[in-house]
Amino acid sequence: MEAEFDIGIIGGGPAGSTAASYLAKAGLRVVLFEAENMPREHVGESLVPATTPVLVEIGAMRKVEAAGFPKKFGAAWTTAESRRIENLGYGGAGHDFRSAQVLFNERAQDGVDRDYTFHVDRGRFDLLLLKHAEELGATVYQGVRVRRVDFSGEIPVLKARIGSRDVDVPVRMVVDASGRRTMLGNQLKVKEADPVFNQYAIHAWFEGLDRTALCADAKQADYIFIHFLPLVDTWVWQIPITDTVTSVGVVTQKKRFAASKDDRDKFFWDSVASRPELLSALRDCEQVRPFKSEGDYSYGMRQVSGDNFVLIGDAARFVDPIFSSGVSVALNSARLACADIVEAAEAGDFGEQAFARYTTRLRRAVANWYEFISIYYRLNILFTAFVQDPRYRLDVLKLLQGDVYDEEEPRALTAMREILKAVEADPDHLWRPYLGELKASTAKPAF
Amino acid sequence: MTNEEIGERIAGYLHGELLDGERDLRIEPETPLLEWGVLNSMNTMRLLNFIREDLGVTVPPAMIAGRHFRNLAAISDLVSSLSAAES
Repeated sequence: MEAEFDIGIIGGGPAGSTAASYLAKAGLRVVLFEAENMPREHVGESLVPATTPVLVEIGAMRKVEAAGFPKKFGAAWTTAESRRIENLGYGGAGHDFRSAQVLFNERAQDGVDRDYTFHVDRGRFDLLLLKHAEELGATVYQGVRVRRVDFSGEIPVLKARIGSRDVDVPVRMVVDASGRRTMLGNQLKVKEADPVFNQYAIHAWFEGLDRTALCADAKQADYIFIHFLPLVDTWVWQIPITDTVTSVGVVTQKKRFAASKDDRDKFFWDSVASRPELLSALRDCEQVRPFKSEGDYSYGMRQVSGDNFVLIGDAARFVDPIFSSGVSVALNSARLACADIVEAAEAGDFGEQAFARYTTRLRRAVANWYEFISIYYRLNILFTAFVQDPRYRLDVLKLLQGDVYDEEEPRALTAMREILKAVEADPDHLWRPYLGELKASTAKPAF
Repeated sequence: MTNEEIGERIAGYLHGELLDGERDLRIEPETPLLEWGVLNSMNTMRLLNFIREDLGVTVPPAMIAGRHFRNLAAISDLVSSLSAAES
């Protein structure tokens, strides 16, 4: 059987379309199948600066800039202890647990040539990237779902569903970018639920939200805001989508969410009610999309590469939305995988060994994210003090920028681990009441 | 700086910043700060910043425990011993 294309990509979200762009630019014959017809709605709306070098490399940045997405210059955290007007008389809103903020440009980052990244309407953003891949020469089919991959022959065969039939598409290798659908992870039975993380999210868009209602400084209104709720392991995201539309989501433990199964709406409102200023700001505006919930999104794969295939983006691993890592992992995993794929194509060998470098680097980056996220949940609002400490601030910012793909052991993790150990070890410690419940500080992920 | 001077500086900070200049409460060395809620988990952060910026002493996370902050005397002892260790 002859391969009709060099690379078959399953999924047209940011991971798949970025891979398609890299590979088409390298002169390979690429086919991409996206199950839905774009634009389609998708969660995961805030980016980190680590996406910039990738967007620039594939030549899409000009289009992203022109699309007019809100610019994201930094991130801010608020707690129930925050007050609207900070009248401390010194240092402004910092210096305790009440709130914290970071500006991305406080730390220089390789390959990042601008002070901001973006918050995006994923319907528009994902379509933009997919069209860009097409422009670079990838063959893109929308509204066509790949049901499975047949690996039994010499080369893999994608089984693409059209009407009531499967259409066979033989390729030299497969890139699974199917997102949380985790197509190959399911087919090959290599998917494992995360032993610790089991959060759920419920979110919607709101028109006319006063974004300054909870921020110490009105200039920060277009940051991403993470509002801690005084409920265990629970927080709210506030992400600008346009000048007037804001995405708001509550993330909490699955068990809290499951207990509310009869009324998700009420669950959202009861949760935000624990921050009265947030509740009143939301009540004052108009909800313009129904609530959507996302769950069972914390998992990993025992294998992210094999003979004639790799997994990238959410199809390989997702942990938690807290640091907006999703789209960055999608783009950077595509970048790393494609470096190996292009070499494999030149060598004419798509065997598992060809992807060893990608696999190692992805695992290391994701392990860093994982630990950062675990410690963060455990530290809870103590994290805000950490961010403000001049000894650690830039190290933390490096992680927040998504700059985790180099060889260095993140210094911030070492420091955070030590503080956590000190607090956990001493029952008399003043910060004990503030620790979160998700306890993964000693657990290394199994994959 | 003597232990006494350290104590006075910290008392001054507590009166000025955390008590909002409340006139009726005078902080003595044995005044139970945590018990009375003058100090709590929240505002110790600000006190720690003051100790670092004004007195030049960084309190390691492991020592942010109740027994070191229960009263002015305990805090002064802590800061004195850390200051001596650093010099």
